[in-house]
Amino acid sequence: MNSLFKIFSSLKALDRRYIFLLIGVAVILPLIFPLGLPLGVTQPSLDLYNRVESLKEGSVVLLTFDYYPSTLPETEPMSYAALRQLFKKNIKVITVTTIPLGALSVMENVVKNVAREYDKKYGTDYVNLGFKYGYQAVLLGMGRRIADIFPMDAYNNKLETLPLMQRVKNYKDIDFIFIVSDNATVDYWVSLVNAQFGTPMGAGVTAVMAPKCYSFLQTKQLVGLLGGMKGAAEYEKLTSNPGRAMLGMDSQSVIHFAIIFFVVLGNLGYFATRKKEVSK
Amino acid sequence: MSWEFFGTTLAAFFTLSLYSFLYKDNPFYKLAEHIFAGISAGYYVGLIWHSVIKQQLWTPLFNERQYLLIIPGILGLLMFTRFFSKVSWLSRFSLAFVVGNTAGISLIRQLHGMILPQTRSTFLNVASFSGLVMVLGVLSTLIYFYFSKEHKGALGAVAKLGIWFIMISFGASFGYTVMARVSLLIGRAQFLLTNWLHIIK
Repeated sequence: MNSLFKIFSSLKALDRRYIFLLIGVAVILPLIFPLGLPLGVTQPSLDLYNRVESLKEGSVVLLTFDYYPSTLPETEPMSYAALRQLFKKNIKVITVTTIPLGALSVMENVVKNVAREYDKKYGTDYVNLGFKYGYQAVLLGMGRRIADIFPMDAYNNKLETLPLMQRVKNYKDIDFIFIVSDNATVDYWVSLVNAQFGTPMGAGVTAVMAPKCYSFLQTKQLVGLLGGMKGAAEYEKLTSNPGRAMLGMDSQSVIHFAIIFFVVLGNLGYFATRKKEVSK
Repeated sequence: MSWEFFGTTLAAFFTLSLYSFLYKDNPFYKLAEHIFAGISAGYYVGLIWHSVIKQQLWTPLFNERQYLLIIPGILGLLMFTRFFSKVSWLSRFSLAFVVGNTAGISLIRQLHGMILPQTRSTFLNVASFSGLVMVLGVLSTLIYFYFSKEHKGALGAVAKLGIWFIMISFGASFGYTVMARVSLLIGRAQFLLTNWLHIIK
């Protein structure tokens, strides 16, 4: 019992930088040597995928890029997978962001890359509205008339000169909204746009936001949900577009095991040493 | 050396500089932190100037003669009176507009878009087991936050059940938060190994 106490006492005094190092190694090794751990698909991801699949050719989808570059590992794979699914089905896509820092560049990069892959023409097959400040006013105003809020697209073209925007005036002309978000804007899409205009929508959100967004599934305000890197990996799997999210899931699993191990070890150490310290 | 390689190396340098804080605070971390704050502020100002002031005020007002925009323009300018103590009271007009507007939108949004659908959905599913658990969770949590009567007897027992539900939801949120933070680390590791070092393809 004394030796156990000594082990746990020395562990308690362990410099936490060793744990950082261990976590770093646990991330890097599975990336270099993939383990190929199985990846299941959850019902909310499947529901979102099926809903997008059920859209007819020529339907119009509004795809949002409401995230900062700091959450790219979770959100960008969702955008890539969603856009590839939409373009593959010949669905018209309008992209928009309500995030000022970096989202515009990320959106432009993703849209241009995927449009090139599927040989899509700007203005006819897709339109990039860009960014506009003040998301409450933007979301509400787009319900009245998109051109009032975005008189010009991200490339300074007047909206009425773009063939796709000649037939899309407001939310009534949009068949589905695919939100990819890392912040509270998803609440506003649901409670302003879905509640007031009834446009069906689904969301891909960061893991931090996922628990809150599950409540929107129960109310059917969202038809499906992707939560964090796991959700992104599921969508990559569903759309047969393996990318960085799927690649990262091995590291994710290894680290989760490591963290569970540390939590159990920490608690064992706490109880083992507490008894001795109390008796002292 | 191509510009792309230079940009990637610079990004890798800043990534490693920020992670160096895990070892201990150092000048590289401080440099990266300050450059990030400075660039963010500059980028933000440029973006707002282009997408709001120029595109939504200046061009429509002077090129398309939409004179109604003078009103929000003046309200915007009044905000700057806060820098001059003698006339700072004028900024209250702009603030009053913002506060009133936001309160009005939020009230409808919360009631129509959140409280009513959530309440309806919670009680419609009571017939199923998971629905029953949800109703129990909602009611016991609400009772836990009822402070007008001491939590004793039956009220205390239900409030205790409420704490359990709250703890479980905290656990779920914490688990997801761990996943989120690990994802960010994985993302940076992927960037360093793929884009910079080309170790993985």
